[in-house]
Amino acid sequence: MSIQSICGYTLNLSFSLMLIFGSCTTYAQTTDTVAADSTSLQKVKKKDLAGHQLAIGIDLVHPVLNSLVNDRFGYEFEADYYMHNDLYLAAEGGWGGSTVDYSDLKYSTTNNFFRFGFNRSLLTRDRPTDWDMMFIGFRAAVADVNRSPATFTVLDSVWGSRPGTAAGKNFQAIWGELTGGMRVEFVRGLFGGLNGRAKILFNGKSFNDLSPLYIAGYGRGDKNVAFDFNVYISYGIRWKRRNGADATSNPVPVQAIDKQQ
Amino acid sequence: MTRACRYVPLILFVFCGLWVACTQTRNPCLVPKIATFNIETVHLVKPADTSFTDTALPAAVFIPLAKVDSNVGTIFPLQSIFTISLSPDTNFCRWAFTTDSFRNEFDTLSFYYQRDLQFISNACGFTYFYTLDSVHTTHNNIDSLFITNTSVTNNVNTKHLRIYIKPQL
Repeated sequence: MSIQSICGYTLNLSFSLMLIFGSCTTYAQTTDTVAADSTSLQKVKKKDLAGHQLAIGIDLVHPVLNSLVNDRFGYEFEADYYMHNDLYLAAEGGWGGSTVDYSDLKYSTTNNFFRFGFNRSLLTRDRPTDWDMMFIGFRAAVADVNRSPATFTVLDSVWGSRPGTAAGKNFQAIWGELTGGMRVEFVRGLFGGLNGRAKILFNGKSFNDLSPLYIAGYGRGDKNVAFDFNVYISYGIRWKRRNGADATSNPVPVQAIDKQQ
Repeated sequence: MTRACRYVPLILFVFCGLWVACTQTRNPCLVPKIATFNIETVHLVKPADTSFTDTALPAAVFIPLAKVDSNVGTIFPLQSIFTISLSPDTNFCRWAFTTDSFRNEFDTLSFYYQRDLQFISNACGFTYFYTLDSVHTTHNNIDSLFITNTSVTNNVNTKHLRIYIKPQL
């Protein structure tokens, strides 16, 4: 894939994200304008009527890709917890590895990883039980990588090829992510979601003596920037807030709440 | 939520494209795999003088020595910049050199250096970079040598050695 093609994809990505965020912003502004007309509605908006939710999910993309490529594998899980005001704590983890079996380079790696951060929903809820969302979020991530001893051959047409070995190594990879995506509740508690991720590796120089071909959770170990995406299927467990909000109950009209107060 | 669903195919397409772009089996190696040692030859104007002219040699020959199965040299027609390689087997190697393929008098260039194993990338694998310690020569064609850069890497634009050819050649 040429650099021009990659740039083209990046432009497409930027344009589509602009479209998405632009439409969400417009919708949010419309809602705010309506709310500003009524003081009582503003009070209602401050009170978070949604209950608690813990969603646990599994990534479907990487198991499919594992069957398509032979030199790497990875599995990913995610969990997020709804705090308040459309803010979710998110934790993700998984494991994977790669096998390099070229004529002049052979080694393998395995790693597990953990990501922690938050998601912010960009859509205003239609009702307290509306858990669909488009979101943007950040992650801090770390992976423990175990690399086997590597065998290699330095090819030289004049002096002849020279074989060698490089010792195995354990090291950590640390990166940050900007993520965005959407999640839709298909049936009660069951979600399908799509995440896009842009990742920046912070400590690539610490293992550039032999950068791993693939770090599960990140991508190519010899690149300082990586892109990835996930398709999650997840299940949300919900319970009431202490103030009595019940996310599992039937939706309560906003006007009715206003009259009660 | 129907607003968001409209964008699903587009997002899916974009991220699929990005993923495919970033996960090819093995990318092509786009940099030199072998550290290149670049030599510049100049002619002294007069014996025991410091002035020189940058003149192309008619058919300079470089032959790697001390390699059992390789005594075939390379003829460089009408050049003043030459690229050779150092041996990754030892910290020492020798090359025979003459200014013209019709000339039977060769000089022996002896290179002494330190090797440094270097990982280029998964696409290119490993190679050796070198730190030059010294270069010695005989004086059939060559008047003197000057090391201009001791770091020998896969940067093809760096010149490492200047050879001063005798004025009469």
